[in-house]
Amino acid sequence: MLVPLYGFLLGDTLGLIVLVQDTDPVARIAESLEQAACMRVVPTGRNRVASGGRELDLEMTVAQAGLAALDRVDVYPAKAD
Amino acid sequence: MKDEATRSLKREQWHDLARKLDWGFSYVDAKDVFPEAMSGTPWLSHQDWADWDEPYRTSYTEYVSSQVAKEASVNAVREAIGRPEDFARLERPWLSALKLHSATLPLAEFAAAIGNLRAARFGRDSAWRTTAAFGAMDEFRHTQIPLLLMHGLLPWDPQFDWTHKFFHSENWVAVAGRHLADELLLCANPIEFAVGTNFVFETGFTNLQFIGLSSLARNTGDRMFENMVNSIQTDEARHAQIGKPVLATLVKHDPEYAQYLVDKWFWRSWHFFAVVTGFAMDYLTPVRDRTASFKEFMQEWVLGQFQASLEEMGLKRPWYWDTFLASLDNYHHMVYASAYTYRATVWFDMVVPGPEERAWLREKYPDSWPEFEPIWDRISERWKEVGPEVEWHTHGATPVGFCALCQMVLCEGAPGNNHARVIRRGTDAHIFCSEPCQWLFEKEPDRYEGHKDVVKRILAGEAPANLLQLLRHFGLSPGDWGRDAHRGHYPWAKREAG
Repeated sequence: MLVPLYGFLLGDTLGLIVLVQDTDPVARIAESLEQAACMRVVPTGRNRVASGGRELDLEMTVAQAGLAALDRVDVYPAKAD
Repeated sequence: MKDEATRSLKREQWHDLARKLDWGFSYVDAKDVFPEAMSGTPWLSHQDWADWDEPYRTSYTEYVSSQVAKEASVNAVREAIGRPEDFARLERPWLSALKLHSATLPLAEFAAAIGNLRAARFGRDSAWRTTAAFGAMDEFRHTQIPLLLMHGLLPWDPQFDWTHKFFHSENWVAVAGRHLADELLLCANPIEFAVGTNFVFETGFTNLQFIGLSSLARNTGDRMFENMVNSIQTDEARHAQIGKPVLATLVKHDPEYAQYLVDKWFWRSWHFFAVVTGFAMDYLTPVRDRTASFKEFMQEWVLGQFQASLEEMGLKRPWYWDTFLASLDNYHHMVYASAYTYRATVWFDMVVPGPEERAWLREKYPDSWPEFEPIWDRISERWKEVGPEVEWHTHGATPVGFCALCQMVLCEGAPGNNHARVIRRGTDAHIFCSEPCQWLFEKEPDRYEGHKDVVKRILAGEAPANLLQLLRHFGLSPGDWGRDAHRGHYPWAKREAG
């Protein structure tokens, strides 16, 4: 099932619509959002994803992460190792 | 037989009698003549409005005489410098400021004629009704002048078609503009109209556009725009006077509601002018012609004078004042960078701030601009990668989110902290760009909940998701959609590329 989300990439100027399947991994949200915002923000390829104040496991599916249509998700660069 | 001079009454002998001509009703109740739904809340006896007054006290004869002179002046300037070749001499980014103004304001002024006419019938004092009748005629004029002036430019530049077309389109900016104008100008009762339009919008904000931007127009050499808005401003200054005496009575009888209306319309007016005036002053005016930043004009015209007016009325600053002050440093920069990278969705061309412009912005916005530098670095680099004329390398294709209240893109906050928030009511999710927009929605959910923003229209199948199809849905075609004002031909891009 298609799940539209409001995506916010740290360093960007606006919120974008991210369309993912509920079976997609959470990491797909970060990939899609970075690609969608690449003309304003340099993609890093290594990100964290958070929603509702909690960080999400990148390998979980969108459904497993409990994300619902039109939730807000935030994408941040992963901390340097 | 008395001569003519002694038979004629002097102005002061008849004028107040004509202006303040109210009477009691014997066959019907005053509430039937002025129903609360049409006249506004709170419903007070006429006695409570009887002291209503404003300083201009214009008579109809005086109104007609002064308006004829103003029309003659605008027409003379139009004949002298209103031809396409006169506009062709202006800088391309400035022409975009003109297109932005021309699309968003003239037909909103027409909507304001309706609001004024409602007050001319249902305002609770005769002097108020008289001033509102003049206001309605003013607003017709403010619609007709730009329609006339910009129509002559159509054969030269099809983007000027949006002067008339904008409010009739489904363009995302028009959706936001109608959401504001319908509620403020078309549907508001005379009390809310007087507070929202006359006191907040016209007294607080239009000075920015009609005096502040007019001074920049002079610097750019656009004497036609300068003359047009100066002429309009003289009308605005008169009919804006309706606001204070209405608000004063409202404060006396229902101070909480008065404060609510001020808080509501200040925030909504702020978002409108942040885009229309903020873009024009800080991005579309050539940097050599700028005398002050948008923020500095706001500090002079709005923060200073408007706050003084609030204090005089016994009102407080809006509860979100700190949020507003932060927004003053960020919001129009957030929207401009977003809109630049979606410029085909608007009807005017946009420009990348180059090194000189960015140095100016850094100086004017020392607290916020550093967060915008990486964004413009990135956009500039993308231009350098592909060279001029390749618009799509610096253009987004993914649908963007819109606020469920103001209908603008989700740009409140800063690049490091976007303020958008989602609430759920029943099965519906609503996103807001900011806390004040959420607050306004939750104050009157029944009023706002049924309105679909562009994203909800896409999800409901009422608008296409594909960008090219969406542009057509927005009323745009390759002939008039927005591009980079210089098509990527920037000296700084060439020099660094070499």
